[in-house]
Amino acid sequence: MKTASERYAALVRLVESRTVTRAEPPLLLPAAPYFDLAGEEFGRNLLLTTTNNGVEYCLRPDFTLPIAQQYLEEGLIGVPSAFTYLGPIFRQLASTPVEFEQAGLELLGQAESDQALDQVLTFARWALAIYDITAPNVRFGGVGLFEAFLEAANVPPAWRSRIRHRFGHPEALQRLMERLANPEERVTAPAPDSRDTVIEIVTDAMLSGGLSLIGSRTPEEIADRYLEKQALDAAPVPAETVALLQDYLSVAESAESAFVRISSLCHEAGFDFDEPLGQVRNHAAALAALSPSADVIFDASFSPRLDYYTGIVFEMTGSDGEVLASGGEYGRMLERLGAPEPVSASGCALWVDRLEREANL
Amino acid sequence: MSTVPGGLTLAVPSKGRLEELTRKTFSSSRLTIARPGGARSYIGSIKNQPQVTVRFYPAAEIARELILGGVDIGVTGTDLIHEASENGEENVLFVRGLGFGEADVVVAVPDSWIDVQQMSDLADVASDFRARHGRWLRVATKYVNLTRRQFAKYGIAEYRIVESAGATEAAPAAGSADLIVDITSSGSTLQANQLRILEDGLIMKSEANLIVSRTADWTPLRKAQLEALLSIMGGVPPGISTLL
Repeated sequence: MKTASERYAALVRLVESRTVTRAEPPLLLPAAPYFDLAGEEFGRNLLLTTTNNGVEYCLRPDFTLPIAQQYLEEGLIGVPSAFTYLGPIFRQLASTPVEFEQAGLELLGQAESDQALDQVLTFARWALAIYDITAPNVRFGGVGLFEAFLEAANVPPAWRSRIRHRFGHPEALQRLMERLANPEERVTAPAPDSRDTVIEIVTDAMLSGGLSLIGSRTPEEIADRYLEKQALDAAPVPAETVALLQDYLSVAESAESAFVRISSLCHEAGFDFDEPLGQVRNHAAALAALSPSADVIFDASFSPRLDYYTGIVFEMTGSDGEVLASGGEYGRMLERLGAPEPVSASGCALWVDRLEREANL
Repeated sequence: MSTVPGGLTLAVPSKGRLEELTRKTFSSSRLTIARPGGARSYIGSIKNQPQVTVRFYPAAEIARELILGGVDIGVTGTDLIHEASENGEENVLFVRGLGFGEADVVVAVPDSWIDVQQMSDLADVASDFRARHGRWLRVATKYVNLTRRQFAKYGIAEYRIVESAGATEAAPAAGSADLIVDITSSGSTLQANQLRILEDGLIMKSEANLIVSRTADWTPLRKAQLEALLSIMGGVPPGISTLL
């Protein structure tokens, strides 16, 4: 029987193993990059402090952002790097400050992003094994897969971005699906106006409202979206495509049968989706080989609410349903932080306090 | 944390119409609030109710004190309770609306945004705003918590809040924000600034409420004193204190 401190020491050995670099970003970080990257929704969880001249800092709420930033600042783009971390993070939950211990792995700039993801999954499995968790519940989701599905299912591009944007927010997505599924509830659009006329009307309205024509949304932008809305209402997504989307999103079952179901859904709809599916399938299979007793679920609608995730996402939960480890591929993050070109990135974060609790059950 | 052991602290708005109407409501129940030092005094009493200490606070502070249990009973707007803390409403008991201070907290956009009628339109605009303009969509408001909750409910994550202390409705024209979340009673201020409330942009209807703190230290004696006070005020079924 291992003790808590032996388990922690094993975790330290894991994050300090020879093939990785342990990163130790400061506890106090500028808050602006977090707001810039993740917006107000994540920002509400930060513990903020303000300097006398009004600059906001936060107690380190995660490791991923400072690690990715440092990677960029040191000019490492193109250099495959593996960073690990272990230490406290701070958030506020329901207005109460909470300190968590978090460990994790970030693989940046790896040439083979498939391999990188498998390494991440392996790392998570090892960490869980330290805490004698051999049969976690694993949930997979495919952000890239969903994007590919929207395209393959021939969803009109303007609708595609609206749907994609709501992915990972079940309520908002459901509302949009209902809107798509019930065309009779749509407002019937008036006869389309010419673009120039609409621009003129909007410009007049902006000027009389005292708005700058360039500081915020421009008359052209408003007019285009107005006309696009009219066009979308006039050309709704076909009912069978909406039904197919809903069927796809409702898939949440053991990985192998989920992929079979999605594959047959697509074949019935008359297109082949086996290649994009194959990638997700391989990762699920790799994970199943790694921990045969884990319960691996593929949930087609599962996605974090952060738009820099690109490929596969996953979470591992314990006996009480709490997330022990979560991560995935976030190929858009470094670009969002200012990288001039896409940089592959994947990683995971482990909730050490929850792992320890699980070990004591 | 009551100042008088075994007594009650009642928080009353310290100025303006809210103070006036609160005192009027209490006096119509034969509970006359005295403020001996006038507007510059922050402590008072109720005639014939020596167990009650009256404290005069700004309305937002009353909300915070009720949530933290610093006062036992208070009069303030529902909106301020929801705004003061993410879980503010769990820490208080709304006894009853007082029929004044009515106002709606709403999401309003420039009237010229003819393509934006509903929150779902706003979600679309927010989603590619940064790609188009190199910055987040900005929402001016003093209701930070309410805004975050409303936007989260509609799946909008891509925006920033610009905290505004006053004249929120002027923010879009001043260029400091793109839209606003603000309080309105008649809508005329919004209209004057050519702002339009979204069809589903009503975040909450607010009015002045008689509110009891759940987090105050409720001894049996103080519960009995609360029941007695509420029964004088009327319009409240007995037994409220059993919910504390």
